[in-house]
Amino acid sequence: MQQFFQQLSDGLVLGALYALIALGYTMVYGIVQLINFAHGEIFMVGAFGGYTLYHYVLPSSLPSGIALLLVLLVAMLTSALLAAFVERVAYRPLRNAPRLAPLITAIGVSIALQESIRLFYPNGSVGKPFPQLFPRGTVDLGGVTLTYVDLFVISLALVLMLTLRTFVFRSATGRAMRATAQDPDTARLMGVDTDRIIVITFVLGGLLAGAAGVLQGMIASPIDFKIGFIAGLKAFTAAVLGGIGNITGAVLGGFTLGIVEALATQYVPNGSALKDSFAFVVLVLVLVFRPTGLLGESVRSRA
Amino acid sequence: MTAALLDRVATSAERLRSHGTRLSPSLAAAAFVLVVVGTNLPWATFSGFPGLMSLALYPAGSRIYVLALAPALALVAVRFSRRRQAGLAATLALLAVVVQTIIAIARDGGGLVNVSVGAWVTLLGALLGVAAFVALPDDGAPLPRSWPVLPALVEALAVVFAVAASLALLVYALDVEAPSQFVGFLLALGGGLVALNRLGLFEWLGALYARRQALTLVLMAAAAVTFPFTQGGSSYWLRVAANVGVFAAAAIGLNVVVGLAGLLDLGYIAFFGVGAYVAALYGNAGLGPSRGHLPFLAVIVLGALVSGLVGVLIGAPTLRLRGDYLAIVTLGFGEIFHTLVNTYDAYTGGPNGLSNIPDLRQGSFDFGLPHTVFGVELAGFANYYYLELVLVALVMFVFARLNASRIGRAWVAIREDELAASAMGINTVSYKLLAFGIGATLAGASGTVQAHVATQVSPDSFVFLQSVFLLAAVVLGGMGTVPGAVVGAAILIAVPEKLRAFSDYRLLLFGLLLVILMRFRPEGMIPSRRRQREFHDADGADALSAPPGSAVA
Amino acid sequence: MPLLEAQGVTKRFGGLQAVSHVDLTVEEGEIVGVIGPNGAGKTTFFNCLTGMETPTSGRITFRGAPLPSRPDRVTVAGVARTFQNIRLFHNMTVLENVLVGRHTRNRTGVLAAIGRGPRYRREERDALDTARELLQFVGLSPLAEHLAKNLNYGDQRRLEIARALATDPGLLLLDEPTAGMNPNETAAAVDLVRAVQARGVSVVLIEHDMRFVFGLCDRVAVLVQGEKLVEGTPQEVQSDERVIAAYLGRP
Repeated sequence: MQQFFQQLSDGLVLGALYALIALGYTMVYGIVQLINFAHGEIFMVGAFGGYTLYHYVLPSSLPSGIALLLVLLVAMLTSALLAAFVERVAYRPLRNAPRLAPLITAIGVSIALQESIRLFYPNGSVGKPFPQLFPRGTVDLGGVTLTYVDLFVISLALVLMLTLRTFVFRSATGRAMRATAQDPDTARLMGVDTDRIIVITFVLGGLLAGAAGVLQGMIASPIDFKIGFIAGLKAFTAAVLGGIGNITGAVLGGFTLGIVEALATQYVPNGSALKDSFAFVVLVLVLVFRPTGLLGESVRSRA
Repeated sequence: MTAALLDRVATSAERLRSHGTRLSPSLAAAAFVLVVVGTNLPWATFSGFPGLMSLALYPAGSRIYVLALAPALALVAVRFSRRRQAGLAATLALLAVVVQTIIAIARDGGGLVNVSVGAWVTLLGALLGVAAFVALPDDGAPLPRSWPVLPALVEALAVVFAVAASLALLVYALDVEAPSQFVGFLLALGGGLVALNRLGLFEWLGALYARRQALTLVLMAAAAVTFPFTQGGSSYWLRVAANVGVFAAAAIGLNVVVGLAGLLDLGYIAFFGVGAYVAALYGNAGLGPSRGHLPFLAVIVLGALVSGLVGVLIGAPTLRLRGDYLAIVTLGFGEIFHTLVNTYDAYTGGPNGLSNIPDLRQGSFDFGLPHTVFGVELAGFANYYYLELVLVALVMFVFARLNASRIGRAWVAIREDELAASAMGINTVSYKLLAFGIGATLAGASGTVQAHVATQVSPDSFVFLQSVFLLAAVVLGGMGTVPGAVVGAAILIAVPEKLRAFSDYRLLLFGLLLVILMRFRPEGMIPSRRRQREFHDADGADALSAPPGSAVA
Repeated sequence: MPLLEAQGVTKRFGGLQAVSHVDLTVEEGEIVGVIGPNGAGKTTFFNCLTGMETPTSGRITFRGAPLPSRPDRVTVAGVARTFQNIRLFHNMTVLENVLVGRHTRNRTGVLAAIGRGPRYRREERDALDTARELLQFVGLSPLAEHLAKNLNYGDQRRLEIARALATDPGLLLLDEPTAGMNPNETAAAVDLVRAVQARGVSVVLIEHDMRFVFGLCDRVAVLVQGEKLVEGTPQEVQSDERVIAAYLGRP
């Protein structure tokens, strides 16, 4: 039983990470109906941005709290800028193209970003030990051990998600985002600058992905150029699980997936070898039996 | 600062253009003279750079490519043509070849001082040449849409010439040894093709092909059969060509799924893998639980059937999904296949895979041995090459026939508008399943051959990237066309083989290729008429010239 | 036996009752109009008749047999439709669009298509003949090789009708066939629908254009807020006070 709860809490940590990345998928999909396949790489590059700052720029005398804050900020900015750049250069010219085109482009962007880091980052093919800037230590909650880092990951993720929610549901820009997601043409007629809204959406997704990159480094150092691929796929699964386009759903989906994965790794025979397959199994099951996801509303086909 | 500069450049370009009609021929003439003179002067101060670049009056190496593009300038100089778009493509390619060669010489020689006078003269000529075409006014009236129908004999000769020229170009390209020269060749070829395309040559050839289909097919088949005889007993390019065949056959299968039915399958390589494992386990390697051997034809059929069955099993529950969801689910299945093969290693060999798969034997005929045909010794891989040729021809045939039938129309209708297709009485789910199953079957068949060509199977040959690779072959060649997938596979396999010096950058270039392709030529190199119209909205009156029901869309 | 018989058709979306207890009978050779203000549930009712929505309750029979609940089977059974927002296969030619309509009436399978046996050739030839005849019928023969998306609006509507007729329907459902048409095109549409009727195909149409409906239909049903308010001849419906009230608002 104790082991069960331990896996459960590990799943929560993992889930927080997936949820942060999933939000980027879900928002972008909600607005432009594109599976931003390169989102995992945006997350990965964010982690490298944070690593670069720490490794090459920050003086080692800097107190680790401040360093962590700066690393986090720079990682978020890196990802956000990259996301905006990719949107502008790769996706925007294809806005009215047949559906397959942007998806294939996204795959190309994803490969190009991975390879850029591998080839052009100093010694980029080798994993980089991520700086551990958070105090070590554990809390024991009735036999379940959580590190301080775990708690930090969960709480930071929750704070960011609540901030996002507030932004989307309370601010004028957020309202414009929701309007664009509902009906871009009408939104444009109502004076919404949809191009700007789309960029903002990518930037928001990027900010969260960058933060996730740092958290990934904290719980699973080292980072390398490949971490984006699997993480991205799992986060996408989380977004679909929750009901794509639905912000609350992405969070719920992220945590659900994290927990399923942690439990399955423990309890399915040969589980750790199959670890990365559970997400796909979940994805297939969800799409087959409830394609609209946990919170998705049933979408009527346009007749 | 920069903005002011750009403004200045723009105004002078504008001014240049207003004088363009008068100025261009003189500019082009000067450019042409400089290019001809420059290519006959030495380009490098040191000997040893590929193409004998230190010799004068001997335009070899990349200098040939420069000269080959120069006629574009001459045509403007003598006021024969004023095609701005085509000329710009040719001269920009010319400039690119010169710049790339200068960089390569400087790198090999240890600095720009080792670049000799000829290169600089040619560079000046190239710049003038670009200016000459920038100065021209826009093309104005487009080329005539319908090319004249020429006498049958002339058309037939044109087809013969086009096929022969392609084969010659291919054989020449494979012979270019130095990577830097090959890059120059690719730049020149690319520019030349774009220029010819803008002159409408390929549209004409396409129309010609539609009219003289049988002849063209026979000639292309003849060219393909001749290819091993040009290799002087060497097996290197035959091995590559056999690989092209393997992937081309699979890519055509994927083309049914993506190009016709419009379903994006990102786990397609798994079906190929199923075929390869079937061949390894039940073929003459006999690695399966029964240790049994099946004759090769039975293995192909078994691989195709098992793979098709897997395709249907996977497709049945998932094909109701919308397009991009389907893409991700297929990706998931592809990864699951990879993990399963990796993990459950009782028969699959786990991560190490299965190796030492013997060459095929049919009766007393060993596919691994060289054979002498008409007094010419053909290396062992020629056997696989010919096997692949048959397989590809078969697959192309199936594709073309299906495409031209009621079934092909149903697929395209589903791709265009699923709801409307169902209102036409098409059972969309079962037709999508059919496309998926046929794609999987074809992939499985070519996978069985792959196991023997590569002599091994391992899970890492069946990963997501390989699915993307096949997809790229389809997209590069042209979605929904028969020759497209073959051309795409050939380019994606042969070009990296020539550019081994840059092999580290292969994937990066590959990713960028996908992005650039989707941006600028989403219909691929050999577009289906349908797709071309879909991606580039054409204006009102464009009837399709091919009769409905012609074998190639 | 009526051609189509709908009894008590009801469709609920969550709490919203889009169609409630609508009866409609279409006899062989009739043209029946369904009119009603926006949001009256006309299109939802249509979707129920074509298998695109499954009614929450109610019974629909066609030629005495229950109507299948999937659009492709409905078409096979002999009910064809057009769409309010034209849905052609844009990147296929005009002729190919009609050929797709022949789909259900042919049987060529994978092997026959690859082998091109006598059956394939006969079916292809028949399909081409039928398609050409239908293009002639709607007056699009000269445009056969054009892409569907390059046709003008009125021609696209005609092509949609030709494509639907290619499925050999006994009943053709037209969803706002004159939407967006100018008076000349509307007049031509009247002739076309009459000609369709003359081919022995019954027609049900949803329309906003009153003049079009009353001039063309044998019988008219009025839907208001998901319920059938009145049904009768054009004269009866035109003079019914409830209809006038529904359209003009109650005084």
